[in-house]
Amino acid sequence: MRRFTNGTRRHYACSMVLALTLSTFLAFRSDAQSPQSEDVKPVPLFTGSAGFVTSFDGGEAHLGPIASPVLLIPLNKRWLLETRATFESDMVQEPGLSGFHGKVAKAVDYAQLDFVANPYLTVTVGRFLTPFGIFNERLYPVWIRNLQTDPLILPIGIGPSNASTGAMLRGGFKAHPQFDINYAVYFSALSTASPADSDRLAGGRAGIFVPHVRLEIGGSFQHLLQQERSNSFGFHAIWQPPAWPLDIRAEYAHSQRGSGYWVESAYRLSQLAFFHNEMRRVQLVARMQRFIAGILASDSLPAVNTKKFEFGLNYYFIDGLKGIGSYGRQFSADGNKNVWTLGLTYRFVLPLGHAGSE
Amino acid sequence: MGRRYILLCFLGVMAGLTFSAIAQERTNSATSSNAATPAPTRVAGATPAAKPASPSSAATAEDAAAVERALRVEGEKRFRTNCGRCHMAPHKFPPRVMATAIRHMRVRAMITDEDMRLILHYMTR
Repeated sequence: MRRFTNGTRRHYACSMVLALTLSTFLAFRSDAQSPQSEDVKPVPLFTGSAGFVTSFDGGEAHLGPIASPVLLIPLNKRWLLETRATFESDMVQEPGLSGFHGKVAKAVDYAQLDFVANPYLTVTVGRFLTPFGIFNERLYPVWIRNLQTDPLILPIGIGPSNASTGAMLRGGFKAHPQFDINYAVYFSALSTASPADSDRLAGGRAGIFVPHVRLEIGGSFQHLLQQERSNSFGFHAIWQPPAWPLDIRAEYAHSQRGSGYWVESAYRLSQLAFFHNEMRRVQLVARMQRFIAGILASDSLPAVNTKKFEFGLNYYFIDGLKGIGSYGRQFSADGNKNVWTLGLTYRFVLPLGHAGSE
Repeated sequence: MGRRYILLCFLGVMAGLTFSAIAQERTNSATSSNAATPAPTRVAGATPAAKPASPSSAATAEDAAAVERALRVEGEKRFRTNCGRCHMAPHKFPPRVMATAIRHMRVRAMITDEDMRLILHYMTR
């Protein structure tokens, strides 16, 4: 008779739990979604963003062209194939050469197949943005982010090239008349195939959104199933006071390679009485952040404790086109420096077919 | 040890979600059993007050218009609340474009099914 080892038993138990849970969710009526949500037949989309951001980092000029095309292909009533690639360059002046030079970095940010099983569950397989915190998954595109520099703690919990390769269960639903719950649980396998590399890890994120006060809070957890097999965790919050054109966002993340937080507020001047047509397009942004180096080294995180303060001004020319400018001061044991950025970002949407209603 | 934590967390999250989903399913079933309620108003939490059927067709048309108005107002509210969480609320897109975008956002931003339907209704009318 076959004898199970502890590891085999654990895997067996995990598989059973997963199978039971999946069957529980999939058992809900598949027609729980109203057919009216599918009255309009979706069309494949070619969308994404592009930008050109010039930065002066400690006195050194960088030119940063970036393009992130996104392809969305809806299949049937419940499937969606989505993929995003990023092409970017960091061009600098090199000694002995005229002009700016840099290589184009290519990455497949995500290439995933989503199945909307029911109102509570979406099953995703493929390569997906690691849902740890909110910045990587929801605020990363250049046309969305309020400040073009990445938060110092961004690399914590998202794996190499910001993505995971495996499977994910996720969803959002109204758990109570006063609030919604959203969740994501995932497993990622090790992949060393660049530019689609990923770590072997498992984790989850859950959040509560209170629409009445426009407040979302949540937490993330992740266990690395390779190398030091460490745990990482984090918290996030987004608040938009209904009475003011103000966004407040914050994240905290902790891992053995470092920990830290960032807090960002962005205020639209739409309530000013003078030059209203111009002022409503202006957004003032401030962000403070802190990073504390961990016991393990990381290539993508600062090597020493770092603090950074940034102030920015965004101008929305039209829907999707934004001019950006910011100043930041970074304090660390490696030396203090100023970081300036100036640039333009653009979001485009192109339907790959007839876009009107059928 | 780490795997045990993951398993416990996974179980806890899934148990909570299962209970919430069952509770929500019951609420939906109870709501949708109301045959007098027109189909669009089956959206829980966004349901405009259902009016009694009027004998005159004019009154019926007024009722339908009122329901449509209520849905549009609620849809706009959900649109501002949900889309504005991450980015500037975009201008309206053509209906089929919006249908794809909202499905994408449902996955990316984990918008609820109810919000998705109301936003799509608002954006395509």
